Amino acid sequence: MSEQGDVVINIENLRYKYPGKEEYALDGINLKVRRGEIVLITGRSGAGKSTLCYTLNGLVPQFFGGTIEGKVSVLGYDTTKTPVGFMSSKVGILFSEPASQLISATVEDEVAFPLENLGLSVEEINRRVEEALRFVGMLEYRDKPPYTLSGGQQQAVALATVLAMKPEIYVLDEPTSALDPIGTLLILELFKKIAKTEKKTFIIVEHKLEEFSSIVDRVVVMDKGKIVAEGSPREVLGKKAEFLKKLGLESPQVSLFIQRLKEKLGINDDETPISIEEGVEWMKKHKKIIEEHLNPPSNRIDEANTPRNVGKKIIEVRDLVHIYPTTQTVALKGVSLDVYEGEMLAIIGHNGSGKTTLVKHFNGLLKPTKGYVKVYGRDTRTTPMYELIKLVGYVFQDPDKQIFSRRVYDELAFGPRNLGYTKEEVDRIVKDVAKTFGLDKYLNSTPFSLSRGDRQKVAIASILALNPKVLVVDEPTTGQDPTDRRIIMDLMKKLNKEGKTIVFITHDMNLVAEYASRVVVLHNGVKVMEGTPREIFSRVEELKKLKLKPPSITELFIRARDELSIDLPLPLTVDEALSYFK
Amino acid sequence: MAYEYYPGTSLLHRLDPRTKIILFLYIIVLVMLIQDPVGMFTLLLIVISLYKIAGIPMSKVKSMLIALSPVIVLFVFLNIFISVPPNARIIGYLGSQPVAIESLIMGLTGGLRFTLFVFFARLLTMTTSISDLLVALTKLRMPVEAVVALGIAFSSVGVLINQLGTIKEAQMSRGSRVESRNPLVKAKALISVVVPGIYLTILRGLDIAKTVESRAFTYNPKGRTTRKTIKLTKTDYAVIIVAGMLTVIVAVVVYMFKILHYTYTFDYILSLLTA
Repeated sequence: MSEQGDVVINIENLRYKYPGKEEYALDGINLKVRRGEIVLITGRSGAGKSTLCYTLNGLVPQFFGGTIEGKVSVLGYDTTKTPVGFMSSKVGILFSEPASQLISATVEDEVAFPLENLGLSVEEINRRVEEALRFVGMLEYRDKPPYTLSGGQQQAVALATVLAMKPEIYVLDEPTSALDPIGTLLILELFKKIAKTEKKTFIIVEHKLEEFSSIVDRVVVMDKGKIVAEGSPREVLGKKAEFLKKLGLESPQVSLFIQRLKEKLGINDDETPISIEEGVEWMKKHKKIIEEHLNPPSNRIDEANTPRNVGKKIIEVRDLVHIYPTTQTVALKGVSLDVYEGEMLAIIGHNGSGKTTLVKHFNGLLKPTKGYVKVYGRDTRTTPMYELIKLVGYVFQDPDKQIFSRRVYDELAFGPRNLGYTKEEVDRIVKDVAKTFGLDKYLNSTPFSLSRGDRQKVAIASILALNPKVLVVDEPTTGQDPTDRRIIMDLMKKLNKEGKTIVFITHDMNLVAEYASRVVVLHNGVKVMEGTPREIFSRVEELKKLKLKPPSITELFIRARDELSIDLPLPLTVDEALSYFK
Repeated sequence: MAYEYYPGTSLLHRLDPRTKIILFLYIIVLVMLIQDPVGMFTLLLIVISLYKIAGIPMSKVKSMLIALSPVIVLFVFLNIFISVPPNARIIGYLGSQPVAIESLIMGLTGGLRFTLFVFFARLLTMTTSISDLLVALTKLRMPVEAVVALGIAFSSVGVLINQLGTIKEAQMSRGSRVESRNPLVKAKALISVVVPGIYLTILRGLDIAKTVESRAFTYNPKGRTTRKTIKLTKTDYAVIIVAGMLTVIVAVVVYMFKILHYTYTFDYILSLLTA
């Protein structure tokens, strides 16, 4: 895939502790990277991936402090001693949060900033700024303030900033985690372009293993500060698919499925398909065995997801138009839909399609410009917000944008107190909800000292303290690793079984397939599709036009159905796909 | 948005930031010398006409005036208690506090003076892009670290405002009365917005530091290139000289003839009415 030369990164027996911490963030890392290699690093949150990236330009240990042992040599320089400013001229890091790494007044200034720091001539700076912005497709935005751009555009600008520096080594720390599918596609295309034209060395940290497996040379898996697996994409993602699953990571669905199918059917070949195309080829080869063992069960996942008592219509949206007054943006252009009691509804669509705008009408945060929204029969245009929040609880994406109390107890009591409950009632509610979430031992602690996962729980618990009938969850999974996502969604599922209606917005199609009973697709402020996950995901061509795609396992079966000419049902998950065979 | 830049090609836009800083100094001189509210108001009108020249919509001016009028009222009201000069003309009582004409007039001047400062300062930021301002500061020998820090601070305002908006929505969704009309209720509710806001700002500060380091800022700060340049042109010199002469003339007239003593106009009108 790429020519490789001398060793540019040489890490030996690296151990590192952040200041004031007991555990080692990096616990015995040995890694050699050659010039021109593209290396993917993956692992759960807290595995040490970002910390490892920070050692490459010296941020660890020089900026963060802490204690370091072992050797880190990048391009011949000892990064524990060489000034970070100097190392940064050779090693360009792209951080995961686009907004936090954009610090200038305009896009142009942003890309020029590092070049000014390097003391380049004005002509050279202007030339590189234009080149880099053109490369990422953001040249027309050069005079805009970065915060007015979408997440994908911001990340493209940040990438341009790193590109303009022309570093020898690119370090990209979860570059797509804050992006929607379109943003991810955009960045992925840019990487492919850079890899082809520049032949530089890349270290990429990612969870989206499927998307990136086709462009990397080597995959490194980390867990608890150690490297636990290393090899070519086929070796790690293909052969070790089961192992990755046990670690709480998400291997490509195709690999996982075929690995398990081989076991189940007793097929013993050496093939490890990791893409959909390879999967279909493999299935063609084993067409006979597949046909023999095909036995799809009669009850299926979406029937299992459909709650027994999907009942009456509780939210009614008719011809909803919403125009934001300050920017005059028409976010919703006439949307009509219903939400039924007890269902688990997923709302999907690209960034800017109007998903968040839509759901903010449910608790009264936004009022319709035209059309109406009725929640349990009450028109939101005339009902005060404090009435609506008793019915609809809105869980925001980032717990840190909500938590403010000195004790977890007060955080959980915030909602009920605002609604005017008595002291005794508040106390009862808080203790109840804390128990449900396993937070009782933290009631007197300060929320800021908890882990991110626990802070998320506090945020969700504080909404549930209002005992709403409907829970709206806005992108609960951004920036989370696959295991944390499941934990949150399983919690939602449990609440759903207890009778709460759940409306969730997500970009993760696998989650939609696994958890939703019904899906609504928005595009440019308009509803374009509606149905069960199975119905929606079978319309692959339409989804492609909307820049969405079904879970890989579903797509695999759609293609296999065509190319093998077998009447295969369409699975939504790997487990379901396996259940088709006996 | 706290730093609003209205791009344009008016005279004010084309002036070097340093010229504008000098104009600001002239205004300070005049504003300190002029005491009469009518004089102050005239100066305010002149500044507003500069807004027109700069091409800034009058709706903006109107909204600024509306926002500042409670401040002017506050100045007048508070000045009743702050100063009662000797031989003042008392027109009434607020409880036990005598209300003097002179206090009211002085308060009015104070309020208008404040308004004038705000208007002029905003005019400068509306007609000067952040990068030009920063270049001007560099040329005025401000340390490079301070200039960069200032630039980042200005740029972060938009981000912060977005963040505060999100926090406000999250708290409203839990019943917090941040949009209440009752100032006490609202103030208490705003704690739930300010605390996460501060926390996030501190976190952002760490992120910014991390980014600044990783973009090689400490590579060679003294040898840093400044990409944009500003130059004093003939127009700048002309404006500096003409405005300077006008300022001197007005200052001399006011000072020597005590024309604009703070009750000058009031007394004049009074004398006309009682003549």
